[in-house]
Amino acid sequence: MSVALAVAVGGLFAVGTFLLLQRDLVRVVFGVAVVSQATFVYLIAMGGIDEGTQDLVPVLAVHGGGVPEIADPVVQALVLTAIVISFGTTALALVLSYRAYEENETMDVTEWTK
Amino acid sequence: MSRLVIAPLLVVVTTAVLTLALGRRPRVQRATSVAGAVGYVGTVSVAVWALVLGETAPGAAVYQVGDWPAPFGITLVLDGLSAFMLTIAAGVGLASILFSVRYVTPENQRVYYHPLFHMLLAGVTGAFLTGDLFNLFVWFEVMLVASYVFVAFYGTDHATAASFRYLVMNVFGSALMLVAVGGLYATTGTLNMADMARRLATPDAYGIDPAPVVGLSALLLAVFALKAGLVPFQFWVPAAYTAAPAPVTAMLAGVTKKVGIYAIVRLYFTVFAAATIPVDVAGLTGTSPLDFLAPVLGAMGVASILVGGFGAIGRDRLGGVFAYSSIGQVGFIAIPVAIAAAADPTGALRGVAIAAALVFALHHALAKGLLFLSVGAVEDATKTDRLRDLGGLAGHSPVLSGAVFVGLCSLIGLPPLTGFFGKFLAFDAAIRGLASDSGLLSALALVALLLGAALTILYATRVWVGGFWGRETAAVEVASVESGQVTVLVALAAAVVLVGVGFDPIYRFAETAATAALDGEAYVDIVGLNGGDGA
Repeated sequence: MSVALAVAVGGLFAVGTFLLLQRDLVRVVFGVAVVSQATFVYLIAMGGIDEGTQDLVPVLAVHGGGVPEIADPVVQALVLTAIVISFGTTALALVLSYRAYEENETMDVTEWTK
Repeated sequence: MSRLVIAPLLVVVTTAVLTLALGRRPRVQRATSVAGAVGYVGTVSVAVWALVLGETAPGAAVYQVGDWPAPFGITLVLDGLSAFMLTIAAGVGLASILFSVRYVTPENQRVYYHPLFHMLLAGVTGAFLTGDLFNLFVWFEVMLVASYVFVAFYGTDHATAASFRYLVMNVFGSALMLVAVGGLYATTGTLNMADMARRLATPDAYGIDPAPVVGLSALLLAVFALKAGLVPFQFWVPAAYTAAPAPVTAMLAGVTKKVGIYAIVRLYFTVFAAATIPVDVAGLTGTSPLDFLAPVLGAMGVASILVGGFGAIGRDRLGGVFAYSSIGQVGFIAIPVAIAAAADPTGALRGVAIAAALVFALHHALAKGLLFLSVGAVEDATKTDRLRDLGGLAGHSPVLSGAVFVGLCSLIGLPPLTGFFGKFLAFDAAIRGLASDSGLLSALALVALLLGAALTILYATRVWVGGFWGRETAAVEVASVESGQVTVLVALAAAVVLVGVGFDPIYRFAETAATAALDGEAYVDIVGLNGGDGA
């Protein structure tokens, strides 16, 4: 499981960095979003991953009884916060890229004169 | 536990919400905004005096948000270091908002200027107060989102391009910070800074292997250097500083830059310094993350001084000169911090060097705040900030020019202004560093400081001779300076002089702050990690 996550994190970072280095504004915004997603997967992985079985889900295992060992909730809270921030930032980045397009009349960042 | 710790944060967030709600009543909105800033200064003063500096003050205090015991909840800590930084933020914040009211056009103020300004201040305040690593990330984001909008505020092609670049840079920086925070959580099993310091001090007792901390702290260093605008992460600075409204630039240069420096000092010296980890990266060897920090931050500081100094000489606009000058001046703050990292942990040099960095940060906030606001006033009066089109301002508007003169002299480091003590202490730390360890880097740091001082004299003289002396140009002849703006400038200039003249209590405050930054054990004690089984 952790190998799969490592591959996912690595792949997402690679794709995100590739997109960030493009000349097209929208691709850069996509790159911003993908890099953020990569860090979320990474954060979840940092909490430690166990293979899911029925007795790991509290409501299925011991309904109303004691809680079995569960995944680390702290990283999930962190990711939730980070997702909200990333959502806001990506929206702002999209608005800005539209404004930058209006002002500079090109989507190609290398053609910006300023 | 003291509620006073969270008071500045509450005041500033309340003001932000109120100014947002009062958008339809511009006069009331402006009055609320100024009242909120005055209230912020008041609460910070009361909190700092009652909790840190006063005769009967405990020296530091914590507030556990929601009464969740540390290390499980979010802890806010007001100790000497946070108090020093908050005082800087309060001073520059009040001056900037007073200047804004007379500088930004009413139409522009009406929209989201005031709420955004107070959110920027809220982000800064939270970053200085928090004792939780992830919470630090959140406050960084609050601060950054407000500054993205401010950089794009005027909506010109220059501003939108600058803001977009600034945003992409910082989102990537935030991603790196999250990676470091997640890694530190996986390594140490906690996000609370005090708990992390305790676990790193005795890793065996908690069954953790602290080896990854060196690499993760290096990631954090890159992120904080990006926020502080240190070379090689400086390239967003000139565009962003010239695009944002002048009062916001004063905030960005005076306060949000210092958040990066604060985070480096807080995390490395209070938290990571406790760890004993073998370091062996690219020829650097040692036993503590600080052994990695010292040469890297030193090199960044030296490079910043050179890039900033030479860049400032070549600019043809006032805003550009001061933006590059900011890059150089942050180098002056970074070098004492690097000297402190290289110093013997038990010796006096470490504290002296951190105090030097803090005094320089205070000087830079006051002087550069004053100068960026003056750029705004000059631009407002003459409609230009090109040095070529300026000249003779000293004869045309002597009061404004007098304030700029004080700012420039402080930048050069003439006694008895604040800048003199900033530079004096930085040199003092560098010479002591050279005496205790006569390596190549210590010598290089001293040479860079000398060269930086010479470059500062050059560009400050160039600004004065080019813009203020000489024959009045056409733009200056028709200029009318706004008296409200000048009043704020004069008040700031007076602060630069007064802090220099009455320097003794300021230095004792800086020493208190340095002691708090270096005493990781005291930090752990204050936070009082008694949640759970006390583990």
